[in-house]
Amino acid sequence: MKISDKAFNDVSIAVLPPCARFNLRIDVINLVAASTAFGAAIPETIGMGVKTGNRAGYCIGPDEFLLHGAADNQADIVSAFAAIRANNPHSLTVISDREQTIGITGAGAMELLAMGCPLDLSRMAVGSAKRTVFDYAQVVLIRDDEDAFRMEVWRSFLPHVYELLEIGVAELATGL
Amino acid sequence: MTSFRVKNKGRINRDKPVTFTFDGKIFHGFEGDTVASALLANGVHLMGRSFKYHRPRGVVTAGSEEPNALIGTTHRGVGRFEPNTRATMQEIYQGLKTTSQNKWPSLKFDLGAINDRLYMLFSAGFYYKTFMWPRSFWDSVYEPLIRKAAGLGKAPTESDPDHYASRYLHCDVLIIGGGAAGIAAALTAGRTGAKVVLVDENPEMGGGILSEPSVLIDGQSGWQWLAAALAELDAMPNLSRMTRVTAIGYYHQNMIGMVEKITDHQSDAPLIAPRERMWRVRAGQVILAQGAIERPMVFDGNDCPGVMMASGAQTFLNRFGVLVGKRPIVLTSHDSAWYSAFDMADAGAEVTAIVDTRVEVRADLLEQAKIRGIMVLIGHTATATKGRLRVKTLRVNPVQDGRVGTAVMLGCDAVLVCGGWTPSLHLFSHTQGTLDWDAEAKVYLPGNKTEAVHIAGAGRGLWGIAAVLADGADAGAKAVNISATAAYTVADDRIGGGITQSVLPTDQNPNKAKAFVDFQNDVTAKDIQLAVREGMKSIEHVKRYTTNGMATDQGKLSNMNGLTIAADALGKDVPQVGLTTFRPPYTPTTFGAFAGYHKGTHFEVTRKTPIDAWADEHGAVFEPVALWRRAWYFPKHGEDMHQAVMRECRSTRESLGIFDASTLGKIEVSGPDATEFMNRFYTNPWTKLGVGKCRYGLLLGEDGYILDDGVIGRMRDDLFHVTTTTGGAARVLNMMEDYLQTEWPELNVWLTSTTEEWATIALNGPNARKLLEPLVEGADISAEAMSHMALVECTVDGIPARLFRVSFTGELGFEVNVPARHGRALWEKLMALGKPYNICPYGTETMHVLRCEKGFIIVGQDTDGTVTPHDAGMGWAIGKQKLDFVGKRSLDRPDITAAGRRQLVGLLTTNPQTVLTEGAQIIADRAQAKPMRMIGHVTSSYWSEVLGKSIAMAVVENGFERMGDMLYASCEDGNTVAVTVTGTAFYDPDGNRLKG
Repeated sequence: MKISDKAFNDVSIAVLPPCARFNLRIDVINLVAASTAFGAAIPETIGMGVKTGNRAGYCIGPDEFLLHGAADNQADIVSAFAAIRANNPHSLTVISDREQTIGITGAGAMELLAMGCPLDLSRMAVGSAKRTVFDYAQVVLIRDDEDAFRMEVWRSFLPHVYELLEIGVAELATGL
Repeated sequence: MTSFRVKNKGRINRDKPVTFTFDGKIFHGFEGDTVASALLANGVHLMGRSFKYHRPRGVVTAGSEEPNALIGTTHRGVGRFEPNTRATMQEIYQGLKTTSQNKWPSLKFDLGAINDRLYMLFSAGFYYKTFMWPRSFWDSVYEPLIRKAAGLGKAPTESDPDHYASRYLHCDVLIIGGGAAGIAAALTAGRTGAKVVLVDENPEMGGGILSEPSVLIDGQSGWQWLAAALAELDAMPNLSRMTRVTAIGYYHQNMIGMVEKITDHQSDAPLIAPRERMWRVRAGQVILAQGAIERPMVFDGNDCPGVMMASGAQTFLNRFGVLVGKRPIVLTSHDSAWYSAFDMADAGAEVTAIVDTRVEVRADLLEQAKIRGIMVLIGHTATATKGRLRVKTLRVNPVQDGRVGTAVMLGCDAVLVCGGWTPSLHLFSHTQGTLDWDAEAKVYLPGNKTEAVHIAGAGRGLWGIAAVLADGADAGAKAVNISATAAYTVADDRIGGGITQSVLPTDQNPNKAKAFVDFQNDVTAKDIQLAVREGMKSIEHVKRYTTNGMATDQGKLSNMNGLTIAADALGKDVPQVGLTTFRPPYTPTTFGAFAGYHKGTHFEVTRKTPIDAWADEHGAVFEPVALWRRAWYFPKHGEDMHQAVMRECRSTRESLGIFDASTLGKIEVSGPDATEFMNRFYTNPWTKLGVGKCRYGLLLGEDGYILDDGVIGRMRDDLFHVTTTTGGAARVLNMMEDYLQTEWPELNVWLTSTTEEWATIALNGPNARKLLEPLVEGADISAEAMSHMALVECTVDGIPARLFRVSFTGELGFEVNVPARHGRALWEKLMALGKPYNICPYGTETMHVLRCEKGFIIVGQDTDGTVTPHDAGMGWAIGKQKLDFVGKRSLDRPDITAAGRRQLVGLLTTNPQTVLTEGAQIIADRAQAKPMRMIGHVTSSYWSEVLGKSIAMAVVENGFERMGDMLYASCEDGNTVAVTVTGTAFYDPDGNRLKG
């Protein structure tokens, strides 16, 4: 197959609406209690993600988890974790505003991401999440489908990241 | 003009004629031609002038190793000029403009060629010898002249408008080189389903097969087999085949840098298309199938246009259908050039002679020459060429028992040279793999490997299509860990061998010979011999003294000949003299390819706060702070910086200032052991800090010097809201994690950066509470209820907030932290409601002035990595009862406790209008002899509007004992200014204004 045979030009990017986002740090022995408080399963294998309704948990480190919920559930989730803190020590930090999320979808999504991300994204399982870099910026990448990714970027890095994605979309459109 | 194009030869597309220009003259070629092949088809060999002597030079090779035919190219309009393009690699297209280089007034008559007559001046090391005296001439005469004369081509004057792309690529097997070995490897590896990438620097793959169509592979002609093989590869969904891609560097753990040329061969590519793309490849296994490079022969006049590599001539004939000459002589020490002679003869050239330096040559070759009626001179040397802009005769002499016999002059229009073959191991050398010397073949071959790499084909000294195909298939099998390999049946294979040699023997004065080793840098054999005589014993020294191999071709043609000549001169074996190190990039690479997307607005990350856009809209001037840009000051119409800052300071002290503090680093330290962690990490005690209170925290390095600081609030028993300096945010978090993971893993604490979760708005001034209070719900922020250094969680204008009562100005101050998305809205609300108080947005400069008036330090400005808490007058920040904290033990080091340390003090100038220069040196006695003893320097210096005088902070030896002393600070004009040493709390030293 010649590289130029691939159809790259089908890819779109968009900044997604905000959600409730948390950084959870907890010893995995307390993860069952955390899942109960969260109201959804939180996986304990690094990279894995589990979606339950509008909540999702991703394990991105040995004791580090990224939690997503609906924007208006933020206060409830904070309260639920506060209730178990005494017996299940953890740190739940609201980071709903720290990051913004970019959706990258289409057949060219992986090629577009390969312009700034050094990972072999073909080996990233659908549903998994990884902390990585994209063109100098630390990001968390979530693979929702074969050709659908979300990239969570610290707010002040977003313009830089988004600019490269736009350059990349235009580049893919030239077919060269 | 005579055409040298041969009918029915070559792979050019004769249905697509192309015109281009060279030095303004229109030339015709075909799609598929390079500039070199198209010029040769028109009988043009002269393509440039050499670097040092400005000697006329013609094309030498047909590939990327070309040292001579460097031209300027202009692509697609303004700003797209490139110097030093290799004419052998640049494909022609309709409208391409090319120019020759290093000539004036013209390529055929160049005044710079006077250097050639003065060659005795320009011997090896001439820079060091010729221009020594008089000393004063170096700067004014010699260096400017040399700089003007030096260099190849002209640097572009316009900025490059092109786009450059980058891409990461991952594969199981990366095969570099799309010749017989690479293709065989790709077929074998690709058939297993492994993810394979095959790259080649040329526009089409095939390597040597393209230049040798007579070979039969599996019963098909070479080109038929090639087409079928490439078709099979292209049908594999797991294999990517990339042409015009040069692997330029081989880095650790099979990371390969590759540059793809995308638009430089197209006349109609869209202007927004990237010109080149840098591929960063991570490969499981790498197969290097880069072939071998033919070695020139070193003899007097070997650089005359028309003297070129035999393999180049064969490629020009078979790939491009061009005869490089109609009466060529082949001069060789390897069988391969005999076949070049046969191909030339069969295509209609009248081959004058085959001159072979060897005394014995295979009978079948002699027979083939005889059939074609070619004169054969065995055991001969070449001793000179004649012809200025094109070779006309070659002088050859028989050699018997080391004696050079009588010369014969042979007429010709080209001399096709082959001095043996050098395996191309540049990329392998990048891996620090060792090279083993093959004493018989006199070549370096790959030795110990440091990477998962296989070298296949001519790159490891094999010869002939059959051997190379089998080796490629074998390497492909090894790379995917299978044993079965494909077998190929090859007929009419041009197997053979040969020898390599030093300078060819001559009957003429070798000291007058211009026998070139490095064509591009004009290094001759006698330069190398001279370097050895002058004491250069290592090839690394010889290289730098003579510049052999230091041109843009990195010695692809010259290194081995130079090495052999140096070894001869030293009377040593080649491996004892060494081998110079090959470094990336393999071929010249554009800066654009390296820069990629990082240019213009995308050059570097610029972090902006949620309030940045408001500041921009309101005329702020910005300054960079770490990766951030921050509002520096807000000039109103007609104000300069000084006036703006005076106004901002005055407004804040008199009524109300508003400041965007969002860039401050923020870290949540959370967990049952949070207090213990804080006690160990910061100098201050934290145990007794109540929930809802905050405290200034000071962080030291292990060396005891101040590293960072910030206000830290206790949100809960087990939760601290830590702030850091803007620039220190990442560093402090990393250091915390480092200690937590490596020193104190027993602590149950977690760290999370929240810098960007919060937008932070600082309100300072006597009216700060008046503005804020009506907006706050869920907390009482009255002076009685909320003291200085207290914090509350509340809502501000309905937005959930962490509200700190802190002050970095000495005025009543609050810092409002709200989720970042609300930052701008709250700022605008405060600006609107603040009108009755003449609310004034201020920038970092005013912030600096206001804090200096209070004597508050800025880490990194008033400290420089050698200032302890005691030096800074901040011993109060150390928890005396604490057993340990980071840096504690260093505070007891003898040099830290000794007298004479520089201590932070205030300075007031005798003339209050004089503002000192930050960084100014301080002396105690201005009558002392030079060099004077510096006892300190100014760290901060401002005009203080509220005090009506200048203020400064400085670190001064024993400063605390010098209160009231008069010292002197240096000025930019070379004079000194008298200053009086004071404390650093210049304004409101009792802190009454905070209590408001």
